[in-house]
Amino acid sequence: MPHIARLLPITAIGFSLASLAPAQPAASEFTVPVTYYKLSNGLKVALSRDTTAPVVLVAVYYNIGFRIEPKNRTGFAHLFEHLMFEGSKNLPKGEFDKLIEANGGLNNGSTRFDFTNYYEVVPSHVLEDMLWGEADRMKNLALNEENLKNQQGVVGNEVKVNVINQPYGGFPWLDMPQYANKNWYNAHNFYGDLADIEAATLKDAKDFSHTYYAPNNAALALVGDFDPEQARKWVEKYFGGIPASQLPPKPDLTEPRQQAEQRFTKTDKLASKPALAVAYHMPERGTPAHYAMVLLDQILLQGDDSLLTQQLVKKNGFTDSVDGGINLLGNQFNYNGPMLWIANLVHDSSVKPDQILASADSVLDSVRQKPVTQEQLNRALVKFRAHYYQDLTQFGGLGRADLMASLALFDDNPAAINTLENNLRAVTPELIQKTAQEYLRPTNRTILLVEAGAPPKDAAHSGGGQ
Amino acid sequence: MKTRFVAAFLTFFPLIAQDREAPPPLGTPKPFAVPSGDTFTLKNGMKVTLAQYGAVPLVTVRADIAFGHANESSDQVWLSDLMAQLIAEGTTTRTAQQVANEAARMGGQLSVDIGADSSSATIEVLSEFTPDAVKLLADVLEHPLLPASELERVRGNLLRQLAVQLATPQAQANRVFAATLYPDHPYGRLFPTEDQLKRYAIDDVRKFSAANVGAQRTHLYVVGRFDPAVEQTIQAAFENWNSGPPAKRDPPNAVAKAAMVVVDRPGAVQSTLRLGLPVAIAPADADYIPMQLTNALLGGSFTSRITNNIREQKGYTYSPFSQVVTRYHSSRWLESADVTTKFTGDSIREIYFEIGRLRKDPPSAAELKGIQNFMGGIFVLQNSSNQGIIGQLSFVDLHGLPEDYLKTYIQKVNAVSRADIQRITESYLTPGKMTLVVVGDKAKIEDSLKPFQPK
Repeated sequence: MPHIARLLPITAIGFSLASLAPAQPAASEFTVPVTYYKLSNGLKVALSRDTTAPVVLVAVYYNIGFRIEPKNRTGFAHLFEHLMFEGSKNLPKGEFDKLIEANGGLNNGSTRFDFTNYYEVVPSHVLEDMLWGEADRMKNLALNEENLKNQQGVVGNEVKVNVINQPYGGFPWLDMPQYANKNWYNAHNFYGDLADIEAATLKDAKDFSHTYYAPNNAALALVGDFDPEQARKWVEKYFGGIPASQLPPKPDLTEPRQQAEQRFTKTDKLASKPALAVAYHMPERGTPAHYAMVLLDQILLQGDDSLLTQQLVKKNGFTDSVDGGINLLGNQFNYNGPMLWIANLVHDSSVKPDQILASADSVLDSVRQKPVTQEQLNRALVKFRAHYYQDLTQFGGLGRADLMASLALFDDNPAAINTLENNLRAVTPELIQKTAQEYLRPTNRTILLVEAGAPPKDAAHSGGGQ
Repeated sequence: MKTRFVAAFLTFFPLIAQDREAPPPLGTPKPFAVPSGDTFTLKNGMKVTLAQYGAVPLVTVRADIAFGHANESSDQVWLSDLMAQLIAEGTTTRTAQQVANEAARMGGQLSVDIGADSSSATIEVLSEFTPDAVKLLADVLEHPLLPASELERVRGNLLRQLAVQLATPQAQANRVFAATLYPDHPYGRLFPTEDQLKRYAIDDVRKFSAANVGAQRTHLYVVGRFDPAVEQTIQAAFENWNSGPPAKRDPPNAVAKAAMVVVDRPGAVQSTLRLGLPVAIAPADADYIPMQLTNALLGGSFTSRITNNIREQKGYTYSPFSQVVTRYHSSRWLESADVTTKFTGDSIREIYFEIGRLRKDPPSAAELKGIQNFMGGIFVLQNSSNQGIIGQLSFVDLHGLPEDYLKTYIQKVNAVSRADIQRITESYLTPGKMTLVVVGDKAKIEDSLKPFQPK
């Protein structure tokens, strides 16, 4: 739920960190250089230098996501994200955006389950100004009624364009957590009820800012072409004097172990075809079972070769695509609480959901009943690695900064980015089977069916080609 | 009277009040060299460009083929999409599942994308698999089965996608906008009818493929980290491919004229707007880069005038943006926005207001400098990823631009003057010749749209 235009963290402009040097033998591994330290006020700082292009990516991550926003203010973490663009003491409304764009950069922000981030990709010589600007809004956010009202309008329009006026709006990324989870923190409407968004006050914003937007609750990541010594001096100069805050204890986020399958139906009057999603609660992040689920996701769902695609798309012809994955508002690693693995598809009304579920079950049963082959596991790992490398290089290094900042915030260890591949390599076919047996059991599943409302006038009666 | 926000645009940087710190002085910009590659042509006419790029062990292999929706006749709409989906359904020596598994073994997936003027088949894999990826792509392009056995399933997919897309107000708006701008050209036909899709036979697909896919229409790009010896693999894999037909182009001769079309969407909480017109500028023309700057300043960046007005000042909308859509030897400009229903008329009025203001007065020197820097920065980013680099090289190739186009791009951006921006707006963005499409709740917006009805 970003500030500017993107709903999901999709990159508009890819970016690779590299050299134009003559060809060298292709390396098959990549290690991320990570320097990590903390300021005396608690700000976590992770640096990763890469001089390929004269560009630097600055990312500030706050350890506050929509999961733990105030209970009477759904959507508030995201509304507040917007307010962070509404001006600070030295940069009145719009001026930080101008400072960035008028110097050749792009910026955005987004709100996720467990963090809110703000980032800029700029030509290298603009770095100091970015650190100054980010520090200014961490320290001196300037809020007023007019700007709050303006952003309530903007955010209301964001919810309308992405959910209320959109067929399949919120399906399944916003809907499924609300159906599958039991704990309010994981199960509320995190885009926000329009009434809650409208009801937010300046006092709410100031309280939220004082509580969560402090250096001891944040991580700063720099990726790209910068001088590390100089960067460290600037970080100290601009962020060093910002006082730490007293952080409240983190609420209990745990979900009870699910004991019975749940099924829900939602009518979408704007949709033209029925749709279906299934969700399973994930093992805890960072455990061996979690790494096994990361590979199970590759085996079952990611890519044309995946088992569910082969079964439901190629063999049955139920749908043109099975989508989904772990953490639909991020990736397999950038969250810090209960999470779902979700698969979803759109189908024709001539096919009943139970036919699709039965067919999907034959695939899911197969990974529970016998270990996958080593060849399947190898393919899963290679697919993961290719996606991971793509992610590291997107948008001026945002993917790299994202993982470093997330691992700094959640685990105090951004260098763990270089352990992900080895942890995946350690997964065996036996662990895959054991993980599937516990986490892909039907009683751990939530099913969400979308019933299509009225078909659009000129697209009625489309039959599909079974 | 409505307050206008002229003052907000006068300067790019805030006036420094006594208690306000100025931003630190900027450092010295570092030099940037546009990545370049080696290009050669096979005997059958296929062009190949190899460019080393990137620190991560990835390579992108992409074949651009000079055909697209523009090559579909009025009874062939989406026939190219049907063909694209069937291309992935197996070759004379590999089943569809083998193609999928082989691609996955390398970390990738083979995807075929149909564009308006140019289409592409792409696979991105770990570096060590570059030769195998080239071979797989070659097999799929040269020896596709286009199997009749999969036609009905794939047709069902397209029918479903058609219904899903047309349920969105954005697709409805795009469809009507394109049809109004280009009533007699493929650019005006974004969606087929269901009946049309149901009529296509496997022979239609195969004939379309023979008429459009072949070596001399193809430019293969290999960009990323790879062993340069892949050149021999490329020669061996592609040299026996049929030359096929030469590229066939028939750009539209679109005439800008005023029109307003309202598509009723009862109960819609927002109105989906498209406002724009064809502009007679091709990328090779001197006005092309000035037009791009004008667009970025007017509505094509976050700090642009229209976005600032209808989003940051008024709160009417979330993600308004304008763009120059570049096609072979033609372009169009449009502003797109989803606005709160009750502010439909107000939003359109403000968009016209911003266009009118730029037609009347040139931007300030600071505003121009800012947008030049912005365009330069975006250009660096566009040239800093495998796919981005391919996109740049492919743009130059499609539009027949001079070899130094990319090398001189930033220089040309910086040569645009304040007067150029005003002249471009005045010459090309004529309010009286624009097409306005509104998808929304007709009963609620009808009255507010009356002032925009062409006389």
